[in-house]
Amino acid sequence: MSTAVIEKTNLKLIDVNGRSVSYLEKGTGAPTVYLHGFADVHGVAGDLLPFHDKLAGAVRLIIPAHPGCSGTPDLSDGYDIEDAVFHYLEVFDALGLKEFNLIGHSIGGWIAAEIAVRHPERVKKLGLIGACGLFISGELIADIFMHTQPERGVDYATMRNMLFSSNEAALAQRYYPNGRGDLDEETRRYEIIRFASFVGFKPPYLYNRSLINRLHRAKMPAAVVWGEKDHFVPRSHGEAYAAGLSGAGKLKVIAGAGHAAQFENADAVAEVMLELLKA
Amino acid sequence: MIDPVQLYCWHFMSYPHLPADFDEKYDSGWVTVPNKLWDKEKSRGLLNQYVDQLAYADELGFDGMVLNEHHQNIYGLMPAPNIIAAALTQKTKRGKIVVLGNLLPLHGNPLRVAEEYAMLDNMSDGRIVAGFAAGSGPETFNYNSSSAKSRDQFWEAVELIRRAWTEDGPFAFEGKHYPLRYVNPWPQPTQRPHPEIWIPGARSRDTLTQIAKNGYCYFLSSRSHGKGTGQSMQRFAEVLKAHGDVYLPKRMGILMSTYVGETDKIAQEESREGIWYFLRNCLKGHQRRVGRQLTFGPGVPYIPPAEFRAYLANTDPTTPLLGDTQDWDDLQTSQSIIVGSPDTVYKRFMSVLEHAPVGHLLIQFHMGNMSDECARKSQRLFWSEVAPRLKEATGKRFNELFGADQQKQMQKQMEAAK
Repeated sequence: MSTAVIEKTNLKLIDVNGRSVSYLEKGTGAPTVYLHGFADVHGVAGDLLPFHDKLAGAVRLIIPAHPGCSGTPDLSDGYDIEDAVFHYLEVFDALGLKEFNLIGHSIGGWIAAEIAVRHPERVKKLGLIGACGLFISGELIADIFMHTQPERGVDYATMRNMLFSSNEAALAQRYYPNGRGDLDEETRRYEIIRFASFVGFKPPYLYNRSLINRLHRAKMPAAVVWGEKDHFVPRSHGEAYAAGLSGAGKLKVIAGAGHAAQFENADAVAEVMLELLKA
Repeated sequence: MIDPVQLYCWHFMSYPHLPADFDEKYDSGWVTVPNKLWDKEKSRGLLNQYVDQLAYADELGFDGMVLNEHHQNIYGLMPAPNIIAAALTQKTKRGKIVVLGNLLPLHGNPLRVAEEYAMLDNMSDGRIVAGFAAGSGPETFNYNSSSAKSRDQFWEAVELIRRAWTEDGPFAFEGKHYPLRYVNPWPQPTQRPHPEIWIPGARSRDTLTQIAKNGYCYFLSSRSHGKGTGQSMQRFAEVLKAHGDVYLPKRMGILMSTYVGETDKIAQEESREGIWYFLRNCLKGHQRRVGRQLTFGPGVPYIPPAEFRAYLANTDPTTPLLGDTQDWDDLQTSQSIIVGSPDTVYKRFMSVLEHAPVGHLLIQFHMGNMSDECARKSQRLFWSEVAPRLKEATGKRFNELFGADQQKQMQKQMEAAK
């Protein structure tokens, strides 16, 4: 990651036991960590999105980049989800966060859930948006690895459809254009897929079979949000999270939005999360 | 004296009975190509026919036969090349049997690969060349072995196998991926210190460094041999030099494909169907822009982000691949599949060897749905009319280019032995 990119996106760095972890920070108030997915922040945009600005109006929002993303180094040559979870515990220690709110999207939602079931005493509130992480028989998470290989070398239609409400959606077209895109964006897209390959390239992808039976340990107030048109993680996974987390109410489905619901309908998802954070 | 170029017969064993409208109807020949297309009746005896073509190369006098591992595709019906190698140990007496290679991250325990190669080396009386590869994109989907982890797994597995063949057992292997309490394989290979190890590589300097410092042979993973092949050789020579070694032709091999006929015209007529079947069908999903190519890219993220960024900066995603070849003229320029009379083929092979003096030419004769008769004829003409000229010319040229280097290296080794 070049210095220019770091300056451009206001990335901060913190030393975590010798690893220099990149993160973004905005706002004041209750510390709230956001763990990113494929189509946001360190996955594509490289910076805060309107959704994050809204949250930062109410809390101190901290958004670390996953290992291998936006300058945060890979953990080791063969790490897995357990290593990623432990990495985050060390990040929280380095940031001096004893207790905090935790919100995660997609692969970041998976990590958030793993942390919440291990350390429920540290996670005050838990928000999940289109979270991976569960194994539900017959309800496969779509193959993001195969679909990130463009058709004819240039066409990302199926990838756009997977991460957004549709192939044609404006944000989908903006962040996954056909052809060779902006070099920084392409690199970020590669980095988050590579991270996913480390922690979750076991079919049907991005899950830990044990997680669903551990959800009962996370009793903090929680909210589970899903895009109505999530073509990546089936809605049944959201229903299972909502049922398994005793602090969560019913699954909140965002009309018209795709997998990255906070991206496509920032207002609606921010409203749910702000209600959780302020409660 | 430096040996002239070594000539091997390479077989992919492609599936030859696809329907004529395959390209229209199906978007890939890899991973997702429906196996209901396998015709049980037409396919009877097919694998044996392919084995016999390889044995025929051995009879003709080729220096060796080359096998490879591919899964769930129409390009190569050889998911377990060691089984074919076992057949060849019984059918042949002379040539090297090169398995290029076993895809180590796909095997649960590399000790099994060490054992199988050792068995094959015994059964062939020391004719095995042990190739190891990490597997390209489609294979990571086939076996769902994370490509991000594959390089690290691969080099650990290679180390385990080499030590299993060279260190007295039992010993404990403290691997990250393959920890073993007792490494002590029986039988041990026939060749000492161990069968030659060949490893494919393309762009990565890391790979070249590992190959150079361990004394392995570098197989360039590329199907086209323009300027890039000479540059790869030069880069490998630099890496060898940096490790106190010197480039000699025997340290490097390349894959070429050919069809030899009596005249250019006959060669084109006889090979046309097989070649275009191979380009359009077998390369679809692998080396063709049409459809979804799974061989390289973000979905198979085995290289670090900085390397991928450099790749993006220096490439154009619309550049045609081999499978996009339009016509014969197009094919000529790619220096990949060389078709013609013995004289044409000799000259074009030599033009590659002029700028890239490599010691091993691994040559694919059978392509796509080529008939047994044509494949054998091409092998025969190549061996009787092209090979002698290649041997003579390279014997001379390699000694001019590298004779002094080899002498220096031998002196150094003798001094070290004292």
